[in-house]
Amino acid sequence: MNWAQILFNSAVTGSLYLISAVALTLVYGLARFPNFAHAEIMALGGFIGYFVAEQLGAPLPLAFVFAFAVSGLIGYLSYRGIFKPLADRGASLIHLMVASMALGFILRHSIGEIWGFSPLTFNIVWPAYDVGPLRISLNWLILIFTAVVVGVGLHLVLTKTKIGKAIRATASNPKLALSAGINTTRVLVITWFVSAGLAGIAGLFRGVETRLSPYLGWDILLPTFAVAVLGGIGSFYGAIVAAIIIGLAENIGVVLLSQAGLSTEYRMAIPFVILIVVLIFRPQGLAKAFKGN
Amino acid sequence: MDPILIYGINALVYIGIFAIVALSLNAEYGYTGLANFGKVAFFMIGAYSYALLVQAGVPWPVALALATLISSIFGLLVSLPAIRLREDYLAIVTLTFGEILRIFIKSEDWLANGVWGISIPPVFAAGNFTAGLWMNLALVFGLLAVCFVFMTLLANSPFGRIMRALREDQIAADAIGKNRITYKSQIFMIGSAMAGLGGALFANFVGYIAPESFLPIITFTIWMMVILGGPASNIGVIVGAAAVQLFERGTIILKDYVTLPIDPTNLQNILFGVIIITILMVRPSGLFKESKINTLGTRRAMRWLNPSSK
Repeated sequence: MNWAQILFNSAVTGSLYLISAVALTLVYGLARFPNFAHAEIMALGGFIGYFVAEQLGAPLPLAFVFAFAVSGLIGYLSYRGIFKPLADRGASLIHLMVASMALGFILRHSIGEIWGFSPLTFNIVWPAYDVGPLRISLNWLILIFTAVVVGVGLHLVLTKTKIGKAIRATASNPKLALSAGINTTRVLVITWFVSAGLAGIAGLFRGVETRLSPYLGWDILLPTFAVAVLGGIGSFYGAIVAAIIIGLAENIGVVLLSQAGLSTEYRMAIPFVILIVVLIFRPQGLAKAFKGN
Repeated sequence: MDPILIYGINALVYIGIFAIVALSLNAEYGYTGLANFGKVAFFMIGAYSYALLVQAGVPWPVALALATLISSIFGLLVSLPAIRLREDYLAIVTLTFGEILRIFIKSEDWLANGVWGISIPPVFAAGNFTAGLWMNLALVFGLLAVCFVFMTLLANSPFGRIMRALREDQIAADAIGKNRITYKSQIFMIGSAMAGLGGALFANFVGYIAPESFLPIITFTIWMMVILGGPASNIGVIVGAAAVQLFERGTIILKDYVTLPIDPTNLQNILFGVIIITILMVRPSGLFKESKINTLGTRRAMRWLNPSSK
């Protein structure tokens, strides 16, 4: 068993979950409902990247920029057009969840209408390197690097900048933040934009690594929820630690599954089992251990 | 037999099956406020239990009853860890349960033939298509009537008032000494049983089921029926089920008559999303208002409070 490779693969999986879960948990903590359309926003990011890189032939970094921008715009529009009006009318948590699911359906089938439902693949061949027992592909390195940049970047934004402090204040007590003169609507707009943008990037990474389909986000959504819940909803630092844990659990779990002669399809069930166990024994997630505010 | 009549009966059977499942979600969400986003899982359990039992030679009425029972047991099992959770966690857990169950059926070929699916031998008037259709129609509507009467009685019973109390204010329900966990588990069992019954009827009617027949869109469709028709209105959700089914069929038929620049299935799903968001914005209570509690006691109290009314 090549444990070095398994650890490295865990870092790759964890990095992907980190980007998508940090994005999800930012909005979850602020808007206080799980955005099920997160899955389709990830898929959208993948397809926008495909459009820019493959259909227009532009360089790949540009694809990431567009994936971030267009997904972010969709996030902004969905907040302005759907979730803010609903929240202003006093919609219940369940209604907000149903609305996010409805938005997901609109997005998924719009994507399906434009690009079709059959899987598409990127025509990029990545150089791979053999480092000792490890086989490392360049796109994995970029993914891990991006996850680190996202983690450190958001950490700096949340702790050092005015908007970061406003985000934390709004998440912990929206009414108090409002009365303290923070423009909470602006905070939410920015958070929705950044969250959806990061989701788009996560989706594009997934698309580059495997293949693109309108259902792409659905496969990452459940582990993403597991990471967000394990980390403690709304907790940015909890999500980082949880992403590493889930990444490890999934990759080690797959090895154990195949050794036990079970279908590796069950890898999707591993985050679910962790999710259930966490919810039973520690519904607040790991958040308490990391909460600085 | 006239193809239009066949089509009509077919549509009615589907409406009846989904009305039963919509009633089950109404018990969970409409009356009790439980966000079960894994409705399709219990629908699937009912369908597969029924199919496997009939294949094993169990007589169909027994299989139908057992499928309902098995679904309710699964409802209890899922409710044990999930029911204590907040609404959003409950939604995530039930949604995930549906997906995991589908993976399980797909991966375990020995159980139900995996991705290839299983066919169910026709139980009604074997070989006679028309008679089978009528029998299915009678069976589905008979059971829908039973479920409707059951739900109406339940909603007006003391149990039904606890359901509404749990939805409105859990802490107050606790304060009057009602153990919410027990009640919620029981409601989850009732809801899962009815969803399983719907699934068994579905399996019996279509005669072939595969994991791909149970995609998350079914859950979404059922939610749409309840939200459109009006949560906590039993008539409302049946009307909602009929409306959603007819709309679904309407867009499919449309493609034979109108050339659209967009694929009708995609269009239909996009419109589903748009409609549900519109309802949530414009009329969150749905088409039908919540049914009032109707018991001898409330009628007398209303007469006493308001003597001029009849």
